[in-house]
Amino acid sequence: MTTPMGTEVLDGFEEEPEKPRGKKAKELTGRSPTRIAFERLRKDKVAIVCAFFLLLLVLIALFAPVITKAFGVYKDLDDPNAPTPSEMTAGDGYPLFGPPFEPFTWDHPLGIEPQTGYDNLALLVYGLRTSLEVAFLATLVATIVGVSLGLVAGYAQGWVDSVLSFIIDFFLSFPFVLGALALAPIMVSRFGGSSESLSKAQFFALIGVLVFFGWMGLARLIRGQVLSLREREFIQAARVIGVPTRAILFKELLPNLVAPIVVAVSLALPGFVAAEAGLSFLGIGLSEGTSLGKTINSARNYYDSYPLYLFVPVATVMILVVALNLLGDSVRDAFDPKTRR
Amino acid sequence: MFGFVVRRLLSSFVVILLASFVVFIIFYLGPSNPAEPVCQAAGGRCTDERREAIEKNMGLDKPVLEAYATFMKGVVAGREVTVGSTAYPCDAPCLGISYATGLPVYEELKKRIVPTVLIAIMGSLVYLVLGVVIGVFAAARRGTMGDRMLVSGSLIVSSVPYYLVCLLAWIYLTQQTSIFPATGYFPITENPFTTIKGLFLPALVLGIATAPTYARFTRGQMVETLGDDYIRTAKAKGLNGRGVMMKHALRAAIVPIVTIFGLDFGALLGGTIFTEFIFDIDGMGRWGLFALRSPLDLPVITATVLVGAFFIVFSNLIVDLVYGFLDPRVRLG
Repeated sequence: MTTPMGTEVLDGFEEEPEKPRGKKAKELTGRSPTRIAFERLRKDKVAIVCAFFLLLLVLIALFAPVITKAFGVYKDLDDPNAPTPSEMTAGDGYPLFGPPFEPFTWDHPLGIEPQTGYDNLALLVYGLRTSLEVAFLATLVATIVGVSLGLVAGYAQGWVDSVLSFIIDFFLSFPFVLGALALAPIMVSRFGGSSESLSKAQFFALIGVLVFFGWMGLARLIRGQVLSLREREFIQAARVIGVPTRAILFKELLPNLVAPIVVAVSLALPGFVAAEAGLSFLGIGLSEGTSLGKTINSARNYYDSYPLYLFVPVATVMILVVALNLLGDSVRDAFDPKTRR
Repeated sequence: MFGFVVRRLLSSFVVILLASFVVFIIFYLGPSNPAEPVCQAAGGRCTDERREAIEKNMGLDKPVLEAYATFMKGVVAGREVTVGSTAYPCDAPCLGISYATGLPVYEELKKRIVPTVLIAIMGSLVYLVLGVVIGVFAAARRGTMGDRMLVSGSLIVSSVPYYLVCLLAWIYLTQQTSIFPATGYFPITENPFTTIKGLFLPALVLGIATAPTYARFTRGQMVETLGDDYIRTAKAKGLNGRGVMMKHALRAAIVPIVTIFGLDFGALLGGTIFTEFIFDIDGMGRWGLFALRSPLDLPVITATVLVGAFFIVFSNLIVDLVYGFLDPRVRLG
């Protein structure tokens, strides 16, 4: 692969001039730009702290069923063993056990949701799960769509490029929140027959909406990169010796686009997490099922009487998004050859 | 120049037209039955015959293109809209009749667009001024402790989701303490002073939450410009530091900032939805959001999406046109 890395390769020479020849050559070929970036990232303290928090949150989300089982709490009250709302909440809607009026209990470490009687810990871990699931899937699909369309637009030129660029600009002219707002009820009225299929429909509708408004930035970026890469000698050489277009796109161009893609993905993830929680907060995300944004919305008016109920999901979303954002920023710095350190 | 303006105007017009068509199709074909909400809103039992009658009234039995043509004709010339069993006159520009209130959407839109525009203007003024000032200061003191603190601080602030900032501001500044007056929209025609007072905090929060992004961007642009040769020349010929900073460096650095500002402002006009929702301001975003409640008010949602798209396209156009004046190097072919 003819990766244009120039000066970075020479670093190996200067660092270890003493080593025997064979080993030196190995060192040279081994240090791809991606590896250099990861080495930089490992030395970045902010990145390490953020990565630690993220790992913790991802583990909590992954082991949500284990955690709820360990504490003996239930995610939803459909569970035959789960208590009914009237067993958990008083007439005024406030919980009978735990905060805000009763002392702390290990049965419900984070308290109980007023009115519904759900356990807050279960809501939190499953909400986190939803957030991460939606964000990861949306990022994955948006990246695939964005990269493929960007590759095609940049490489094809001519009318294909014009049409794709117009589509990108056209999509960029739709207001995101309003668009989500418009698409949500349509998806639901189309696919939402029963409660079961409704929650599935909402889940995929949400991802669909996020992808719908999330792929253009990356497509534009990739198109720009490809426009300059396609004039490079190695691409021209590949074309001259008759490498099929598909191979040029995926074997020659794509490996050279790893850095911008990784950076774009790491900056897109926090955006999708924030967007998911934000849409649910507005009540246009997932109305069935658990979501941190939904909990924040219903907890909004309990800021005074039951702060724990509101501030735990708020803090969780904040930590998650801030950690992802800071990590994304570190990743961008690490991949940017212009950053001085 | 003239050719460029005409071409740009035409392409913007095409985008708007296409956007309106897409939005119309989404609402025409999207829901399992657009007549359903009307039928339910009318009250009483929703029998099959009634639903069919409503579908016929709404023109749902006609092909899409014909229905779109009727809709567009209404926008240009006005038409009569039948909702349920009543026919409403709807003058141009007719965007339909709200199912919930029975009033023309355009009339309601006119009322609700005012607070949204006010928030957008006030908020964006705050973040533009604050962001540029902080950015210039940081760039002038590049590498010092203060600069580093500003950069990392602004990174953290801009990482926090906006609606959480908004929510916390609402709780701490309006509910638990009374530092700021009650928020909300009071008609500007009655007392402009109370209007500004009611929107002051929301705009301030919007401004402060967005300012760090602008500060970082301004700093980046300034640092780049300050490295240019002509800045060194200006300093060498003995101009004072502030003059070089303001007249020479900022003048060049402001061009991309204005570009980003224009695009953001357009997006903002279409969606100060979180601000409106949290601070309870009866603006366009909140209106569109509440139209989702039963009965689903499709004409209202269509109108808000269209207006939002219009603002974005329009601000793109303005930015492109202004660009040529701000940056004399740009040659518009």
